[in-house]
Amino acid sequence: MTKRTQPKLATVKGTELINIQQVVKTFSNAAGEFTALRGIDLTLNRGEFVAIIGKSGSGKSTLLNMLTGIDHPTTGKVLVDGTDIYALSESKRSLWRGRNLGIVFQFFQLLPMLNLLENVMLPMDYVGMYDVDERPKRAMELLRMVGLEEQAQKLPRAVSTGQQQSAAIARALSTDAPIIVADEPTGNLDSRSANHIIDLFTELSERGKTIVMVTHDSTMTQRTSRTVVISDGVLVNETIAQALPLLSQPLMKELAQKARQVSYQAGETILKIKEPAQNFYLISKGNVDVVLHKKRKKEVFVSQLGVNDFFGEMELLRGGKTIACIRAADKPVELLEISREDFNWLMKKSPLTEKAISNTVQKRLEEKKQTDKRK
Amino acid sequence: MRPRWRKVLSDLIDNKARTLLVVLSIAVGVFAIGVIAGAYVIISDDMSISYAANNPANIELRMDDFDEDFLNTIRKFDGIKEAEARRVFNIRARPLGETQWTSIDVVTIEDFEENEVNLLTPVSGKEVPLKNEILLEQDVLEKMDAAPGDTLEIQLRDNSIKTVYVAGVVQDSSTGAVDFLAPPLAYISTDTLRLFDQTELFNRIYATVETGQDDDNHISVVLSALKEKIEKNDYEVGRTFRSLTHQHPLETTINAVLGILMALGVLIVFLSSSLIANTLNALLNQHLRHIGVMKLIGGRDKIIFKMYLVLLVAFGFLALLIAVPAGGQGAYGLAQFIATKMGFSLLGYRIVPIALIIQIAVGLLVPLVAGFVPVINGSRVTVQKAISGDLAGESSEQAEGGANRESRFEAIQFEATRILADRGIRIKRPLLISLRNTFRRRGRLILTLFTLTMGGATFISVFNVRVTLHEYVESVGNYFLADVTLDFDTPYRVNEIEQFAMQDPRVTYVEGWTFSGADILSIDGTTADNVSILAPPAESVLVEPLMVSGRWVQAGDEKKLTISEGIFDLYPDLQAGDYLPLKVNGKEESWEVVGIFKFINMEGILGYAPYEYISRDQNMANLSFSYRIVTEQHDRAYQEMMAEDLDAYFRDHGFHVQEATPGLATLDSAAESLDILISFLLIMALLTAVVGSMGLAGTMSMNVLERTREIGIMRAIGATDTRIITMVLVEGLLIGVISFILGIFLAVPFTYGLSWIVSTAIFETPIAVVFTPMGYAIWAGLVIVLSTLASVLPARSAARLTIREVLAYE
Amino acid sequence: MTQKNINPLIELRDVVKNYQSEAGVFPALKNVNLNIERGEFLGIIGKSGAGKSTLLNMFTGVDGLTSGEVIVHANGESVSLHSLSENDLALWRGRTMGVIYQSFQLLPMLTLAQNVMMPMDMSDLYHPRKSRERALELLDMVELSEHAHKLPSLISGGQQQRVAIARALANDPPVIVADEPTGSLDSITADHIFKLFEQLVQSGRTIIMVTHDKGLMPRFSRHVEIVDGELFDNDSFPMKGKARMGEDRK
Repeated sequence: MTKRTQPKLATVKGTELINIQQVVKTFSNAAGEFTALRGIDLTLNRGEFVAIIGKSGSGKSTLLNMLTGIDHPTTGKVLVDGTDIYALSESKRSLWRGRNLGIVFQFFQLLPMLNLLENVMLPMDYVGMYDVDERPKRAMELLRMVGLEEQAQKLPRAVSTGQQQSAAIARALSTDAPIIVADEPTGNLDSRSANHIIDLFTELSERGKTIVMVTHDSTMTQRTSRTVVISDGVLVNETIAQALPLLSQPLMKELAQKARQVSYQAGETILKIKEPAQNFYLISKGNVDVVLHKKRKKEVFVSQLGVNDFFGEMELLRGGKTIACIRAADKPVELLEISREDFNWLMKKSPLTEKAISNTVQKRLEEKKQTDKRK
Repeated sequence: MRPRWRKVLSDLIDNKARTLLVVLSIAVGVFAIGVIAGAYVIISDDMSISYAANNPANIELRMDDFDEDFLNTIRKFDGIKEAEARRVFNIRARPLGETQWTSIDVVTIEDFEENEVNLLTPVSGKEVPLKNEILLEQDVLEKMDAAPGDTLEIQLRDNSIKTVYVAGVVQDSSTGAVDFLAPPLAYISTDTLRLFDQTELFNRIYATVETGQDDDNHISVVLSALKEKIEKNDYEVGRTFRSLTHQHPLETTINAVLGILMALGVLIVFLSSSLIANTLNALLNQHLRHIGVMKLIGGRDKIIFKMYLVLLVAFGFLALLIAVPAGGQGAYGLAQFIATKMGFSLLGYRIVPIALIIQIAVGLLVPLVAGFVPVINGSRVTVQKAISGDLAGESSEQAEGGANRESRFEAIQFEATRILADRGIRIKRPLLISLRNTFRRRGRLILTLFTLTMGGATFISVFNVRVTLHEYVESVGNYFLADVTLDFDTPYRVNEIEQFAMQDPRVTYVEGWTFSGADILSIDGTTADNVSILAPPAESVLVEPLMVSGRWVQAGDEKKLTISEGIFDLYPDLQAGDYLPLKVNGKEESWEVVGIFKFINMEGILGYAPYEYISRDQNMANLSFSYRIVTEQHDRAYQEMMAEDLDAYFRDHGFHVQEATPGLATLDSAAESLDILISFLLIMALLTAVVGSMGLAGTMSMNVLERTREIGIMRAIGATDTRIITMVLVEGLLIGVISFILGIFLAVPFTYGLSWIVSTAIFETPIAVVFTPMGYAIWAGLVIVLSTLASVLPARSAARLTIREVLAYE
Repeated sequence: MTQKNINPLIELRDVVKNYQSEAGVFPALKNVNLNIERGEFLGIIGKSGAGKSTLLNMFTGVDGLTSGEVIVHANGESVSLHSLSENDLALWRGRTMGVIYQSFQLLPMLTLAQNVMMPMDMSDLYHPRKSRERALELLDMVELSEHAHKLPSLISGGQQQRVAIARALANDPPVIVADEPTGSLDSITADHIFKLFEQLVQSGRTIIMVTHDKGLMPRFSRHVEIVDGELFDNDSFPMKGKARMGEDRK
């Protein structure tokens, strides 16, 4: 029981590890049917640090449950390193999960009757990995890694929530599972503890673990290697979903098809001042600078826009020429370009988005006025 | 209906299993109390009424034959109201075609219709027997299979066989009541006496007194005077009995037994209320969110408190609906059972108001008392705590035990784990979880352990008491070691009988005994009681007495006797070496009490003196009526066969055999009545065990319910079904084992207490307690089975939970 | 009565809330000051763990505070919430505030109508017969009158939340407080709920809503952001890069 070794998943970075094929999940209750996932296709590679983001109710936790084997898909398949996990029995899947997945929950979910060390040892006991004498040593090592060596003998409720989450991560690592799955791991933490947890994840992914994290906090995406956005049960373009969150899901999908991907070198000008504007842009990678040219050709820096910001809306909405120069900042920039025609179509379809964008326009005009005054 | 009451109603209806558990827990206690209280009242009312209704004789005299004229003088005696004469003699009877004889005392009644004392209650068939007809007391039917219209064969002293017809069956609650061990009775008219070769004279007087029928002292005075007068008329009086009109001779015994049952009933109520407290605590915990919501939208403590109070009352009310009718029926059933056993009849089914009131009070009070604390706590909970749902977890546990104590307790657990680990004993985490889970809800654990342990200790004690009683009866059997007792109508020479008996190679030993009756005099010279003095040879090997003090009889003892403990009722300070005033063969003498021994006091006071002295005193040296015979084997069947064979053998040789009784037969009726008591005790013990395991089942399912999320986590980190089931089972078993260990210790005082109460009630003397491993073994098995059963369902439902359900908290 | 118009509806004055645990003191609210005017649709935006639910619990009086004061001027009286007893507070809250939670918190054993009647029953403001009529009216308003006699488990999440709103309106309170009311709903259903709120604001009620969803910002008449227990009051729609416009902060 103790020394059974499991063929380890190969840890060659970049190769395909998790393959979700056409997964549909429908919940039915007395009130009727509700489709949480509407045909998801997704491939995750080894060593990736993936964030699955979406609002509450978007289906992100359901998606996570599909790849942990916690819930059954209604149709479709989930292959993890070639294993069809839904072909296993519930009890076998428990054992499979224990060996291949480390799970971190939002509410820490340490067992309250065991101290931190015992909590970390438990998965090894359950799946019978490592020698009995080796288990406490390994658990201690993991606790040291997450900085909880001193607290090893304490009960979960005697340490802070951030420390509990760190211990939960140590537990998730105890069977040396190649995949770490985390559901809102920073959800109940203050921002400092949350950062600490994300640091830990980054370090782990650098060491070759594949990390899949569900969150509703889009700022987390700055730290992950990849972001998957889900909205109403469908994966959507990340940039569109982030920049224009008020769009309905079908509109997002349609817009994604209409938009073109363009890229600019560092420092390259995207929009020249006083030229007629034709397009609306969403930033998917990099930063752009907003610059005004004053008399005497002196450049005045107004602001910098980052990922998931948009520009070009002012001209399209108000008509007229570009009022500021926009250029790529110190790194190459990737943009989604949306034509005037498509933009107008979008504004007509989604009045809410129009209102939000108008608000932004007002805000930016005020900003400009202030800059004008200052100079 | 206002929404608040609608909610209460739904709480009651929606979770049927829980409502059932609570209602049944209350009902069990209410039922037990109702049955016993009801039976108590019915029996004590009806027993005296039914007994008095038959106009029982206050005075019974067993004496020499006398005639009608003499009876008339007694009827005129001062203080005597009514007097009836009877002729009572012993015969053997069997239904035609059967082989087994039954010893029966036949009572001759002069005029069945004019009879005024010790009235008979008809059961079936005719009430008055004609010539050659016989009425059977219903106890006879327990020994033989006969019904009105059947023919009985009667064997007389001279071995001749006569036949009589069974005219009817009657119940006689008075005549046989004083003598527990006497043979069953049958009744004939004087016309039939000749058939049985009996003279038409009487040998017993049954009389009632004019006043003071329930005053033992008065009856005693009348009896002494009457006896004196009779003896002046040169009639010898054998034994005398007194009884009160309104008190069945066995009433105190029955009341004592009912008292024990009542104590157990109260225990069950007590246990079931701790079970209810547990369930209600869990219910309130589950309802905290509802309470929070209600408070959020304007509900005040008072409203919430009222709502749950109504829920409690509703639980009680439902329990009453079940328990009151069932308890009423049960009470009557129990009373009926005891009445049949004791030979009296009930006045009919009825509702006993006091039992009803007690039931209602218990049924409503138990849930209120048990639920008061949980309800108060529940209604006082703050919205914040209630809504955050945090209460099912750790914080309430802290609140329960107090944060400091909790952590100290945990510290001990951790320390223990570490010390064990240091010595190389590693408890695996999965087992550790079961261990620590067991002690998490300590309030709940204590209540569960309490019920289960009490149930177990009672269970074990009942077994101990059973063995104690049987051991005692067996030791009483040491006074009756002979395999066959052979009684003759006339005295024979001891040598002669011995010679005859030993001709049967199966007979190994013979002793000739004799006996004498004596009156024990009180200080003022009046007769206080009778003592039957048995006279075995001084060197007899057939009596192994249980001495309380002093010594056993010795050869050469003259006017010396050992006497049974019953003497303490008359002379509480009597010691070995004291002298006792006796009236033996009409002579007042002072006898030395050389020893006091234990015996069943209900049989009256018994004494032993050496055969050598008594037979000489009776001018019957070397003669004896009564022989004790030892045979090769000693089992019941062999004894019966030998009694049968010796009976036939001696009759064939012309001896006037009165009766040959197998040795153990004497003990049967005593053991039988004990077994009735034991079975009652066992039923009560089982009830307490059932209540205990209901408590455990409740606790385990509450535990699993509260830990569903943890179970989900365990599954998420690799625990298989087997692991989860094992975890829950081990916890249940652990509780079972702890309660068993506690039960072992608790059973000791329980056994002593229970055996003291029972033996004092039945034998009127405390007896030596015996412990038997049987009760422990059965309870150990039972507690393992019960705790497995109690946790297997929760365990299985725990294993069935999928992680998604468990973690779906949003 | 004149005072009523001068004072804001709700005042938070220097509110501090610390949580004590074995691990130490955790400050959930750090000296929060906030005035809420009548007729506002105020959004309180913050990530989970930022303290937004704790802040909400201050308005409702559900949770105690470490220091500071919460004063509500409603129904012609000014009440300092945390000076009331639990009982008085329960009654006051029942009559003054409708509270809506992410998880609906309907009583599962009662029909929708009975759920809506419950606050009226608890506060004794309406005669039982009248409360029944009113419950049905409110269910009609949230377009659920046809389901009035169903149990909550038989309707969808969105419908349950509408019942919760009807229940919050039962005693006709001037203030509605909602904690992530659209949190567990899909976007279309969430939109329905939002429209309902907007109608209520138009009819003169004050609504305070807590959410983590920044996308909802434009729909509030005003919003404040809470980060690690501190409040940032923004009067207008924020822009990205606002960090460098930090001078605007109060």
